[in-house]
Amino acid sequence: MAAVKRLLTHPVFLALVGIAVGQELIRASLDKIAYPDLFADIVHDYDMLPPIAINAFALIMPWTEMVAGAVLVLGMLPWLGAWRRGAGLLSTLLFAAFLIAIAQAELRGLKIECGCFDVGGMSSSQASWSLFARDIPLLLGSLLVWRKGQ
Amino acid sequence: MCLAAAAAWGWNARLPLGIPWLPSPGNRVGIPRAFEKRLPEINAARALQLYEAADALFVDSRDQKDYEKDHIPGAVSLPMRKWTKAFPRKRGKLPKDRLLVLYCYGAHCGLSTRQGKALLEEGYDRLVILDYGWKTWTEAEGPTVKRPRARER
Repeated sequence: MAAVKRLLTHPVFLALVGIAVGQELIRASLDKIAYPDLFADIVHDYDMLPPIAINAFALIMPWTEMVAGAVLVLGMLPWLGAWRRGAGLLSTLLFAAFLIAIAQAELRGLKIECGCFDVGGMSSSQASWSLFARDIPLLLGSLLVWRKGQ
Repeated sequence: MCLAAAAAWGWNARLPLGIPWLPSPGNRVGIPRAFEKRLPEINAARALQLYEAADALFVDSRDQKDYEKDHIPGAVSLPMRKWTKAFPRKRGKLPKDRLLVLYCYGAHCGLSTRQGKALLEEGYDRLVILDYGWKTWTEAEGPTVKRPRARER
């Protein structure tokens, strides 16, 4: 148990987790940044936010992913070290929000696009329990960087 | 967060299909500034009037399998999830001088809005979206047909 704890809090392991989570966030942000109008449609489909807030959310959220992802990937650099835990917190909140959004869509039977990576190509996958499962390790990784990062 | 907000503001201001931070009255969310007022919504009563007067062509943005189960008679199937493949095949059935009524599943389906924007980019300018789509059409007891006629597909 002590060995597992040592591994989970080892700076190199935490840096690798940060890179793994960060690159997912960056990859996920690109299409949303390029097509905010299509992403706003998808946010609307999730039916969780009042319409008046959706455009602003669709504009800011992808850039939050991008900034948090970039800080997590570059977190080894000394001048970004202080930001890494903040990025871990942001990333935790983002993945928690994704999990809630996908779960409520599934439970309500909404036939909607996930909007996870591809919003512009009209080929994105539907919100589903498999996407929910894929986000759980990313949430745990973000939590680890937030709670144990330095 | 401040950095993200500043980047979003700067990027959106330069984007050709950037969106207003607050949707303006009469527009759905996600309508780019360049397309404001060009994708109006209609309700089921107005859609029924257009259908009865044969004044418009209905376009079904839902998946092909749902179209094949049930659709508005005479509607052209243009599944938005297969846009890249479907549009070149269906372009000939979509005259630019005719009013097109786009519909998808219901309240939480943005497929028809996305299709409206894609059609605007293709030069179509006479477009309306049936708000609440198929759901409102069936609730209003609009006519439906179970199997597509060969010429409609």
